[in-house]
Amino acid sequence: MDVLVMIVAAIVTVIAVGLFVRTVVGFVRQFRVGKSINRTDKPAVRTLTLLKEVFLATRLKQKPVGPIVAASHLIVLIAFGVLFFTLVTAYGQLVNPDFALPLIGHWPPFSYLIEILSWLMVLAILILIGVRVTRRPNPQEPRKSRFFGSTMWQAYYVEITILAIGIFVIALRAAEYARGSVQGEEFINSNFPLTGWIGQNWTGLSLEALATLIMLLAFGKILVSMAWFVTVAMTPTMGVAWHRFLAFFNVWFQRNANGKPALGQLEPIRYDGVALDFEKLDDFPDDIALGVTAMTDFSWKALLDFSTCTECGRCQSQCPAWNTEKPLSPKLFTIAMRNHAHAISPWMTATEEERANLDPALIELAEKPLVGDDGVIADDILWSCTTCGACVNQCPVDIAHIDHIVDIRRSQVLVQSEFPTELNGLFKNVENKGNPWGMNASGRNDWISEVDFDVKVFGMNGEDTIPEDIDYLFWVGCAGAYEDRAKRTTKNVAELMNIAGVSFMVLGEGETCTGDPARRAGNEFLFQMQAAQNIEVLNEIKATKIVVTCPHCLNALKREYPQLGGNYEVVHHTELLNDLVKAGRLTPVNKIDQTVTYHDPCYLGRHNQVYNPPRELIGATADSFVEMDRNRDKSFCCGAGGARMWMEEKLGTRINQTRGDEAIATGAKRIAVGCPFCSVMLNDAVNTRQQEEGRAVGVEVVDVSTLLLNAAKS
Amino acid sequence: MKIAVCVKQVPDSWAEKKLRDGDSLLDRDSVEAVLNELDEYAIEEALQITEAQGGGEVVIVTMGPERAGEAVRKALSMGADSGIHLVDAGLAGSDAAATSYALAKLLEGRGFDLIMFGSESTDARMSVVPSMVAERLGLPQLTFANKVEVSGGTVTIDRVGDNGIETISAATPAVLGMIERSNEPRYPSFKGIMAAKKKPVETVSAADAGIDMSAVGSAGSWSQVNSFAARPPKAAGVVVQDEGAGGVAIAEFLDAQKVL
Repeated sequence: MDVLVMIVAAIVTVIAVGLFVRTVVGFVRQFRVGKSINRTDKPAVRTLTLLKEVFLATRLKQKPVGPIVAASHLIVLIAFGVLFFTLVTAYGQLVNPDFALPLIGHWPPFSYLIEILSWLMVLAILILIGVRVTRRPNPQEPRKSRFFGSTMWQAYYVEITILAIGIFVIALRAAEYARGSVQGEEFINSNFPLTGWIGQNWTGLSLEALATLIMLLAFGKILVSMAWFVTVAMTPTMGVAWHRFLAFFNVWFQRNANGKPALGQLEPIRYDGVALDFEKLDDFPDDIALGVTAMTDFSWKALLDFSTCTECGRCQSQCPAWNTEKPLSPKLFTIAMRNHAHAISPWMTATEEERANLDPALIELAEKPLVGDDGVIADDILWSCTTCGACVNQCPVDIAHIDHIVDIRRSQVLVQSEFPTELNGLFKNVENKGNPWGMNASGRNDWISEVDFDVKVFGMNGEDTIPEDIDYLFWVGCAGAYEDRAKRTTKNVAELMNIAGVSFMVLGEGETCTGDPARRAGNEFLFQMQAAQNIEVLNEIKATKIVVTCPHCLNALKREYPQLGGNYEVVHHTELLNDLVKAGRLTPVNKIDQTVTYHDPCYLGRHNQVYNPPRELIGATADSFVEMDRNRDKSFCCGAGGARMWMEEKLGTRINQTRGDEAIATGAKRIAVGCPFCSVMLNDAVNTRQQEEGRAVGVEVVDVSTLLLNAAKS
Repeated sequence: MKIAVCVKQVPDSWAEKKLRDGDSLLDRDSVEAVLNELDEYAIEEALQITEAQGGGEVVIVTMGPERAGEAVRKALSMGADSGIHLVDAGLAGSDAAATSYALAKLLEGRGFDLIMFGSESTDARMSVVPSMVAERLGLPQLTFANKVEVSGGTVTIDRVGDNGIETISAATPAVLGMIERSNEPRYPSFKGIMAAKKKPVETVSAADAGIDMSAVGSAGSWSQVNSFAARPPKAAGVVVQDEGAGGVAIAEFLDAQKVL
């Protein structure tokens, strides 16, 4: 029998390892099909980031899932690696029941480590199984579960394998103790702190019986391990298993070496790995592929992202689209891309000639469009994204969902002309009129006639660069110039700067849309035209310090223009005003006696990490401040980002209403915001509730600057 | 089916426009030039007709200075097949009648089944060129068209007028003027923009088109601008503070204006 067991174990192992290696090679071949992108800068920093994200669980411990799951995961992660030694031991035990690893096998520190980790792993995996079982989709509200759409059997299978391995290790060690004890071995006294007590029950067995027990347990352990290898090798789409290997690479190769989430600026549009400059349009090849039309247009990092997705659903639980019954979930999007990539992997990795000879069914599948009614994902999935960044911020394995979604949008807009018709108007207005609303450039200075102090407009006194004595160029923005609520913010900020003695200048008709909505809608061509125009003006007049009231302008000017040669020091008005208050140049005299809550705009918060200045300002101007449940980097989008401001919201419930209701529920009478779009969206939500008897009475949506101006003036 | 779409490059519709002192013509250099917005509906309709028929040809026709070629490219980027650009310094200052004469000469004998226009240009806003061209070519005119249907040799439209909608039809070839409610003009794809660079645009001089130069240009136009003046700035209104007698004050004001 011994020989039979050895032969079976050897055959199973050879098959398992063979299949596993084959699948790993398959992964590498598929990733190599992806377009090039440089992700190897600052290798030392990247390694440090990887160590931090793995061993400090910096991403995983985030709310709302929290530290218990993160700690349990960390234990399993470490134990599953370290206990590989026990698998090696198990092979030895098939041959010799008294086998121990050379040098460390009976070295107490090693034994302690193995025993502690085994027990902890069993405990941790039971916690994780418990979490999965209790959080599984329930039939009444399945979408509320972050596991909705995750392949549950795969996760349970992985977890039960881990549990079984843990139990096998403990049982094996107990049997080793018993056999050592019967043989009167010295080492048993210092090597079995947590399993000896079990082994003591077996010391009555014969040496022979204990040898058989050890052999069978070792054989069982090997079979469970090899079954796992075979299963995952046969299922390359089993993200929950493959993340065990891929996540390390995905984290190391993430966009920012320092581990900051892939937010703020978008990845530039690339062709053959090189960022495209649309100014050199004439040099482009005729058949240039822009954005992602087919799976093979993604970068290798995108393909790695898809395969690494563990289906944990943290992104899904945060997504404003998903939480308002829209078809988009960042997780389901990623799963759909991954599954399709693996389904057509043989086609992707084949050469042009080889492709012709492939199975017609595979060719047909490979030609399936990524987007559309008969595509991999529906149009509504692609266009529901507000690019709020909640998913990217949550993802424990650093998947950059927004980059991939926008890359597909780029193809839809630039190549296929398939996009929501409302965007037609947006694009035309930005292109022809320089603002999304289609207003006249001559109206950019209208607000100036509504204030009773002087506002310097660039060029009015014949200046051709910004004069030395000007502290800031005040970038008013399209909303700030044309939209009534935002215009009030513009006037507030101008007045506050005036009071504080900050000298500023505006560009007036020289300003045009930064291109942010066009870029998020996938129209990189239009974005670059706008950006080039603005950068030319800003560089020519030697603009250095810029203050904005719109977080979307902030993001474009500060994070995206450097990609095209525009480098400026850009601050949001809440940052500037807070500095002025701290410096004593603005003094709130009369605090308002109402409770205030604050809504973090995505492009100010998550995309640009400005969380404290607006809060400090509110603290200086209001008696009491209350947070919404979802705040700071967990803030819930107002629904207007990602060019959604200019698209109708036809599906599900309204995002702005969800957020508005959350704000109203705090009982605050003032909902402070720092973004013109959030202001419009939340104001709509509050107005809707105020139509109903007795709801949201006296609640007002105001810009933080309004609070400060009221407090500073009264 | 071969369709001509006549387009015009106009100064940005919403920008402040000025007439030049010397020749009383519109100062086109000081404002951004764009493709006449209403023409986009005609282009879109033409493209939809050929797409529905699974073939055909859409030719963009324009008359204007060198720079008007940009408007043709823009139209080509939407998907039209080729362009004809009538350029001649002698054409500058042509009024509606002269323009219609030049266009008719340019279009005649080219075998178009449909000649389409936007119902008016946003700069001159005469709304008569489509009818004039139809008249000069002796073709039926279907203007202020909303819905268009082409079957066999017949074109049928919904003509949107002040008093209602008439459904009228005519045999092709015919001239159509499209209104802005007819469709949603497409946004040119990047691919379209790239392709437009390679599409043929035939440049034609007035002589090539057989145009009699005495019938075009400022001098050849039927209408002449003798003088012009800027619209006087709006006078400040009268503000009546209502202190109980507001109604009476308004009545007195209206009486003084002889409205009552």
